[in-house]
Amino acid sequence: MKTDRELIQEFQRGSDAAFNELVRRYLDLVYRFFQKITPDKMEAEDLSQTVFIKLFKALKKFRFESEFNTYLYRVNVNTANTYFKRNKWRNMLHLDQAPDTGYVETSQEKQWQKEEVWATVVRLPKKQRLVVMMRISQALSFKDIGNILNMTEGSAKVNYHHGIKRVKLLLGNNK
Amino acid sequence: MNFEEKLQKTFSGTSEMLDSEQFINNLTSARYAQALKRSQAISGYLALIVVLFVGILGFNELDQGAILMDGSYYYSTSIDYDQNEGSEYFDDLALYIMEQEDSEYFDDLALYIMEQEEDIWMAFSFLDELEYDKIVNLMEEES
Repeated sequence: MKTDRELIQEFQRGSDAAFNELVRRYLDLVYRFFQKITPDKMEAEDLSQTVFIKLFKALKKFRFESEFNTYLYRVNVNTANTYFKRNKWRNMLHLDQAPDTGYVETSQEKQWQKEEVWATVVRLPKKQRLVVMMRISQALSFKDIGNILNMTEGSAKVNYHHGIKRVKLLLGNNK
Repeated sequence: MNFEEKLQKTFSGTSEMLDSEQFINNLTSARYAQALKRSQAISGYLALIVVLFVGILGFNELDQGAILMDGSYYYSTSIDYDQNEGSEYFDDLALYIMEQEDSEYFDDLALYIMEQEEDIWMAFSFLDELEYDKIVNLMEEES
């Protein structure tokens, strides 16, 4: 089985099949990421498509300065960020009209819906927003988050701490 | 259950997977559509630039007035007229063209009067009154 590096190098030499292999390999990861961000399956698929279109353009000049995994997470996060910015007002204004997601558990312990949490997370400052987004949706370690967002592990922890404190406050106020 | 766990639980749940082959097909179509859109936009901009360029050139050429050379009018500054300079030349030229046109018109009119008038002496005296002697001279030369 070829490594990511080999596939990217093949793609850089003009093989679209190598790129398709990368898509097959990482589609689940990317789609799962966006499923946690939006309840709309079509939107999650569109966002995944956007990520791979960006990759198709960017990988031609990829210089292997970071792991492909890390790079992919960065593209995911940036795409999600753009999505949140685009839908910021919609999320804030239509929170009460959010559609039934199909993923929401019915147990008593689950007090919030995804849209509600994201609508709160998007109100955080950028760094806090990114760290909180990656931690709560992907359960990544602070070390990985630091690598992906180009910050130290300590900085990721501090941003997370402040971010989650604010989310707690905002969610608490909504209840 | 602490706050973080509760948040993470919000995002837990079974997630459906996509058909990767179908996704790749859609992705390829989307990429081609984007590339087509981009090339169409580039062609559009190029066409617009060419139209503007030709338009500006054409306007500059025609904006200078007419030039008479060898009995023909030219509307271009590309012709090397090499005479008086600047706008004075064009003012004189325009005047000259108008005079030429008037003169041709009067000649035609005089000929028409000569041909249509039954009493040719009446026509001569009429033209004489107008101090138009071109035709009279011509007639004298011919005779």
